[in-house]
Amino acid sequence: MWTFIVRRLIQSVIVIIGVTFISFVALQIGGDPTYLYVSERASTEEIEAARRALGFDRPLHIQYVTYISNLLQGDFGNSLTFRRPAIDVVLQALPATIELTLFALILAISLAIPLGVFSALYRGTPVDGSIMTVAMLGQSIPNFWLGIMMIMLFGLQLRLFPISGHVPFLMPLLQGEIVRAFTQLPQALYYMIMPGVAVGFYSLSRNARLVRSSMLEVLGQDYVRTARSKGISERAVVVRHALRNAWLPVVTMIGLEFGFLLGGVVVVEMVFSWPGIGRLVFNAISQRDIPVVQASVIVLALIFITLNLLVDLIYARIDPRVKY
Amino acid sequence: MAMKRHLLLAGAAVLLAPMATALAVPPEDTIVVGISADVNTFDPAPISSRDNSNIAKHIFGTLYEITPDGDIVPDLAESYVVSEDGTSYTYTLREGLTCEDGEALTAEDAAYSFNRAADPDNAFTGNTPGFVFSSIQFQGAEAVSDLEVRIDLGRPNPVSFGLIAEVFIHCKDSYEAMTLDEAARNPVASGPYRLVSWEPGSQVVLERWKEDEGNFQNIIWRVIPEASTRTAELIAQNVDIITNVSPDQIDAINNSGSAKVAPVQGTRRIYVGFNMSDDFADTEGGAAIQNAEVRRALQYAVDVPSICTQLLNFECERATGLVNPPNGNPNLVPYPYDPEMAEQLLDEAGFPRADNGVRFEITLQAGRGRYLNDVNVVQAIGQFLSDVGVQTNVELLDWASTYVPLISQRKAGPMFFLGSGGGTWSPLYDMTDLSVVGAGTNYTHWDNPDWFDRWTDIAAAETEEERRVVINEMLEVFYEDSPWLLLYFQPDFYGVSSRVAFEPRRDEKVYLFDTKLAGN
Repeated sequence: MWTFIVRRLIQSVIVIIGVTFISFVALQIGGDPTYLYVSERASTEEIEAARRALGFDRPLHIQYVTYISNLLQGDFGNSLTFRRPAIDVVLQALPATIELTLFALILAISLAIPLGVFSALYRGTPVDGSIMTVAMLGQSIPNFWLGIMMIMLFGLQLRLFPISGHVPFLMPLLQGEIVRAFTQLPQALYYMIMPGVAVGFYSLSRNARLVRSSMLEVLGQDYVRTARSKGISERAVVVRHALRNAWLPVVTMIGLEFGFLLGGVVVVEMVFSWPGIGRLVFNAISQRDIPVVQASVIVLALIFITLNLLVDLIYARIDPRVKY
Repeated sequence: MAMKRHLLLAGAAVLLAPMATALAVPPEDTIVVGISADVNTFDPAPISSRDNSNIAKHIFGTLYEITPDGDIVPDLAESYVVSEDGTSYTYTLREGLTCEDGEALTAEDAAYSFNRAADPDNAFTGNTPGFVFSSIQFQGAEAVSDLEVRIDLGRPNPVSFGLIAEVFIHCKDSYEAMTLDEAARNPVASGPYRLVSWEPGSQVVLERWKEDEGNFQNIIWRVIPEASTRTAELIAQNVDIITNVSPDQIDAINNSGSAKVAPVQGTRRIYVGFNMSDDFADTEGGAAIQNAEVRRALQYAVDVPSICTQLLNFECERATGLVNPPNGNPNLVPYPYDPEMAEQLLDEAGFPRADNGVRFEITLQAGRGRYLNDVNVVQAIGQFLSDVGVQTNVELLDWASTYVPLISQRKAGPMFFLGSGGGTWSPLYDMTDLSVVGAGTNYTHWDNPDWFDRWTDIAAAETEEERRVVINEMLEVFYEDSPWLLLYFQPDFYGVSSRVAFEPRRDEKVYLFDTKLAGN
């Protein structure tokens, strides 16, 4: 087990180095970013001075080596637009994204499992057809369009939900303001419903289909037939014997799903004015705020790698056939 | 049973409580503004974006300020005098001014505000140090007495007075005690409002602390980047004013019954520049536009009013020069759309149509997504020019990564589409784009001495009338020699809820001091 963890950690470091390199090169080939940080009336001398001050006059490989060396000391550089440490800017936006992503994930998984089970149990019936049609729609509709439609219908016409905005829960919690966090929780959840559905609908649909096919496979297994022949109730057969085994591919997917949802929040955060890391990265890319983009990418990559490692470990725990 | 019912009711109340607060119209003492861009800092010195500056103006006073009509009127100062050689301005502050920290606001604070922004150790790059100070060649500021502050310039400059009016004044004691990071988050007000809370990326809440200024006790600035979401929030009356309404959403707002769009002709000058540098002189189109007759001919080829109506949803009058109305030369008439005249002038200039109908080929470069409906406007201009035989290849480039570096190095072209910020308070402010041939903003490399040599006459003019005569003559030269294909002043669209009375300004400044509830 420990060998496996150490091996995975070494792999993770290589992945992180790769991520920093790719993000660095991708941003640099866009051109000299100095011009974004000087007045449009700046003279050539002023532009030169700014370039020197920002370090953009040095060769790319030197800039990269300097960056990595600073990174190892926990210095991600200063945001060029916010004028403070890039990592602080990213960590300030991260809780809002985690809230939204977790909410979407919980929503998606908690609905996908019963829907997938029902669909499998009533295979070929209108119940199955309806659930699979909705699942197909969920995988076809772009999340930003779904978001705008929900704003128009539930926000503007029916006035059921707030159109945009965010009430923080995780941030006050992390800052130790526990009473404030829980006082705000109902509001926070209320603001999360529409963006959460927009982010999670695709995932819900995909997992409902996954659970359905997994259940169908398991329900045809000998041990399920044996359980039924022993006279165990259908509910126990489904929950204890079938679902427990059908659940395995879903667990594998959850880690990946979280990463997938993190990627999907960018546009949804823009649509719902959600002050998270997706919107931060979007703005940072358009303003070419290189330190913020790099810090965001590294933080997201770390989250993704950690989750995958956790999923692998959990998988070994719930499936005794898996050994590391 | 009764217990269950009570629990159900309590549960429902808990669930519905957030709805009541989240979906309520703002209270009467509060105005909510939906803006498109986030705030980067509350330190007054490095502020660079318009949205950021609009919020800051409610927190920080300035010595003088510019009115919507372009007049420059006292704010924290009550008067000023200019030295005989024109290189220093001495302002007298109003008596009894205070800062949010309780200290008296004196000339020492004003001098500190200027010197702090210029301090190289702070490495600020915002509007004040990056534009104002370089334009006026700021040398230093000194408190002459408790209420008098002197600002020294490198040379006399007729637009200095207006530029100095952009510098935010802040309070020395508090700012000296803060690090730059602290100053970015904890503004100490010298203006009528103070910061209550700032949730980055979400909203900024201001509260009035000077009772005699502003009609609302609270101002909430909500950051809503997506245009359609801003529109929905306005129609739902969750916000009172939104900026940057997209032209395609104007009808939806006007038909909502809860809000209207207030359009205003802005001060941003939108034009197509003819780059006359040697870089392009050996290309077919680059050589053609060296000829003033060709440039003038092309003015007749583009139907600017139709572009405004069809693509910008706004009735505009075509620009006659680089100066914003009403400060332009009143004798100049906008070039009409007359393709026959364009063709005739091109023939006369020695560029007849070839057998394939093409006179010459030229590239028109533009950045994507920076100006209102810019991609469609540029495509339309390209088509208008092609219609008179000037085969125009439109090249749309990424704004930040590709186009800005080209523009900054004055290498965009041979034709390029651009907007340049202007002002209402002085024609000279708009004209300083072309202060010298080598100016960073002379993107066309235009070098007509009939324009550039006249700056000495401007400096030598002893009265406003004399200066005005020179300005009008220079604007005639600009009109005739046509270094720009003249287009329009970009319209700005504000969405305004029926709850409030708000008059938008032409200069993109959203100041809410005079805004009030409708009917009050």
